[in-house]
Amino acid sequence: MPKLRIEAEVNGRKVDRETEPHKRLLDFLRDDLNLTGTKEGCGAGECGTCSVFVDGKLVKSCLMPAGKANGAKIETIEGLAKPGDLTPVQRAFHKTGASQCGYCIPGMVMAATSALRENPQADIEEIKERLGGNICRCTGYTKIFEAVEIAKGVIAGTVPETALEEDMVDDSFIGANVRRLDAPSKVSGRLKYAADMKLPDMLQMQVLRSPHAHARILSIDTSEAEAMDGVACVITAQDVPGTDGFGVFVHDQPIMARDKVRHVGEAVAAVAAEDLVTARRALSKIKVEYEELPGLFDPGEAMAPGAPVIHDYAQDNLIKHIPVRKGDVAAGFAEADLILEDDFSTQQVEHAYLEPEAGVAYVDPDDVVVVISPSQNISHHRHMLAEIIAKPINKVRFIMSPVGGGFGGKEDMIYQGMLALAAMKTHRPVQLNFTREESLIASAKRHPSRVHYRMGLKWDGRITAIEFDMLSDGGAFGMSSEGVMRKAAILSCGPYEVHNLKVDTRVVYTNNTPSGAFRTFGGMQAQFATESMMDMAAEALDMDPFEIRRVNMMKVGAKTHTQQTLETASLDRVLDAAEQASRWEKGAPRVRGATRKDLNGPDTRQPCTLGARIKKASKDSDESERVA
Amino acid sequence: MMTNRMKRGRGMAASWYGIARTATIDRAGAWAELDDGGTGKVVTGVTEIGEGILTVLAQVAAEEMGIRPEDVTIGDNDTSRAPEAAHAGATRQTYMIGNSVALAAREARNALFEEIADHWDVPVESLRAFNGELWAEDTNLRMTMEDAVATCKGRGVVPVGSASFTAHGTGLDPVDGSGSPWQAYVFGTQVAEVEVDTWTGEVQVLGIWAAHDVGRAINPRGVEGQIEGGVVQGLGQALMEEYTTEKGHAITHGFAKYILPTSLDIPQINCSIVEDPDPKSPLRAKGIGEPALVPTAPAIMNAIYDAIGVRIKSLPATPEKILEALRNHVPGREQIAQSARLERAEAARHQSAKA
Repeated sequence: MPKLRIEAEVNGRKVDRETEPHKRLLDFLRDDLNLTGTKEGCGAGECGTCSVFVDGKLVKSCLMPAGKANGAKIETIEGLAKPGDLTPVQRAFHKTGASQCGYCIPGMVMAATSALRENPQADIEEIKERLGGNICRCTGYTKIFEAVEIAKGVIAGTVPETALEEDMVDDSFIGANVRRLDAPSKVSGRLKYAADMKLPDMLQMQVLRSPHAHARILSIDTSEAEAMDGVACVITAQDVPGTDGFGVFVHDQPIMARDKVRHVGEAVAAVAAEDLVTARRALSKIKVEYEELPGLFDPGEAMAPGAPVIHDYAQDNLIKHIPVRKGDVAAGFAEADLILEDDFSTQQVEHAYLEPEAGVAYVDPDDVVVVISPSQNISHHRHMLAEIIAKPINKVRFIMSPVGGGFGGKEDMIYQGMLALAAMKTHRPVQLNFTREESLIASAKRHPSRVHYRMGLKWDGRITAIEFDMLSDGGAFGMSSEGVMRKAAILSCGPYEVHNLKVDTRVVYTNNTPSGAFRTFGGMQAQFATESMMDMAAEALDMDPFEIRRVNMMKVGAKTHTQQTLETASLDRVLDAAEQASRWEKGAPRVRGATRKDLNGPDTRQPCTLGARIKKASKDSDESERVA
Repeated sequence: MMTNRMKRGRGMAASWYGIARTATIDRAGAWAELDDGGTGKVVTGVTEIGEGILTVLAQVAAEEMGIRPEDVTIGDNDTSRAPEAAHAGATRQTYMIGNSVALAAREARNALFEEIADHWDVPVESLRAFNGELWAEDTNLRMTMEDAVATCKGRGVVPVGSASFTAHGTGLDPVDGSGSPWQAYVFGTQVAEVEVDTWTGEVQVLGIWAAHDVGRAINPRGVEGQIEGGVVQGLGQALMEEYTTEKGHAITHGFAKYILPTSLDIPQINCSIVEDPDPKSPLRAKGIGEPALVPTAPAIMNAIYDAIGVRIKSLPATPEKILEALRNHVPGREQIAQSARLERAEAARHQSAKA
């Protein structure tokens, strides 16, 4: 392959290198110059984690061919301040707690720096717009806005530099706003996530994924791929030495598809090669013969007689049913003055952590299989992998690398097994970094749910009975489904003491992308239905929404839906706190927005229209660069 | 101020949540050492996924050991080098690992205190340590933690501690679901203020008031960060995020199709931290990671209803869905329904007055 020569200035130093012509600026910085502070989040210019300055302009380095950087002056997160030092923007991020997982933060710091360079007087509305091309999934952006405002003041000299320092601590560190100890490593791009790690002699892995939702695998021919120059190994389910199968509750998921595929994107085979390009080329040489099977895409159809069976052990496609019963539901409804009945549904949601799945595995000199990855559950993964690779548990070691956002989505061992197998087969370190597209189709989602709800109430607002029936789509594998159904059932009817209830939560297999753990673990799906019903009941009974909740709320001594007696309960306090803080105007929830007096207070933001806020840009910027 | 096109409204929702693993016993282990220079070393199985737990653990260890958070080094996240602390999830980090670290650090400090009390010939109960200093109450005896560790080691003792913390959840009965899934519960309430563009169907959330019980806020700014992040994830699910497949094939295969909240979608988030201490754990803190997002979506849907009289029961409330609901909206229907409700409520008040 012909090489491309790049002469450029990077962080004030002259760089003269040969590189491959297909590389993006992002690859050149990360792979050739080892400047891994610049992260890859999407590879499509949509998330901003790879933002750098090229000739003083903020660009997304995943969209720029490396060749375009020839002759340019490039500045990355590593070049903003001298080693060991931080700029006012970085110090302000540290001060306010603007970094959480930290993966978006180098890009966010670059965007914030750009905003203040473009317009040192930018007001908060303009700052928000200038940060609009950078996604953060952890912080809710609020602390980032605060940081940029402080930095703006310090740079302009209107705010003393002491504003960047840590708050004083009185007589206890508990309850103190101690600054995050990991923030300096995150705001400077120094922290190494799994994809940033490089080990000598390391191979790159790529995964062949199923193009079918449900199909039998008739044959896999890896011979041509294995014969390729630069390919170290190809692995399939046949390479698993122990008992294949992982999952949080039921071990129904093989490391790679075994005999059949159950969802689009399921791993079928994997290649470890000297470099990424070779590994990708090798994938195209693997021949898989499939026989397509009828697919199941609607959870409502999963339990119907004659529905396709996705896992042999579950002929009815039921992963789990959790029942909760308390009191006498029939009597409760008979006693009701008003019965409301309705249906609610929630969608499938992606965790969208900015760090795509990534990992490194190797076999250490003592024959310990080591897997480094942003796994949220290294203890359980160690147990499962030991079974899968038939090793004693102390010969399996999991190290949790810095997690660039998890939210439950990194609890499933969806790729660590492949890494371990390839490392064992080659006795070389192996790295696998997912693309964003791969992450989207292969990782678990929040369970989509449907709830049928019946609620009986007295005229005074007391709930007399609830029937709650939830059906969730578990997708192709069990993952955390059982636990999610359990939590949904336990929390289902909300923080209210209900004496008569009948709750059922069910989750079924389909050929959709699997569902798994996601922040609230079924709690939000269930309580979305309950809290909607509470407002509908309040409207029907002409009650203030806070009032109807107070009438029913759990207090100390209340029996929960699972008949646990509460020894503490604080709903009264949080209701009061929210009501007071929001200056809530009392009244029944009956479309009174037009007449409310509590709107548009100083504790709200102003509505926005896109593009209307850039008040002043430096004279040499133009539209296209602003978009970049 | 408001045109016919733009409609504002408010809604609220309450919520509850359990802390740590569900319907099972939960456990976490930690080791601690008061180290040379008056520093601290803590080793535990699982920590940071972005929520700030490393800093919380350093605060907890520092408080227990009488040193400063920046003096604490945390070794973690390695199944072969650290004691098991289970997983990073279930809103269990502060509760499980925080308490485990507190107890281990306390044991290390007690080992040191025993030696120093003997060295000074004072009762061990009179010793206090904070911020790198150690002293005996009602005396002039005082030394740095650096000297205290050196003295302790000079007496042949390395001040170490270890602990396991347990949360006693029980399984659910398979028939009626009865059981005690958690030993600590938290509650929350959020109010949302929205503006709905009735021409485009777009909803903007302008304000969120979020009140959450966290037991005890170890790091209030960190708690706010969790609430703000949770609210915005809840907002995303309420209004825009939807992973969509067609016959199992993803249609939303990148962030151009899978829409996430960005800086321009963010309401002003007003946090109220409520502290109802947990009586069952030394730290008395509970948790906030997951509970923060539970009430957001229903509060927003209730606010949309308040603004335009349309109840979205199927998430997300996309502009398309709002417009369709508005098209099917019969003017005056709410008013008719409302007068019926008022009559019923009036009858009820009569009834209860008679009773």
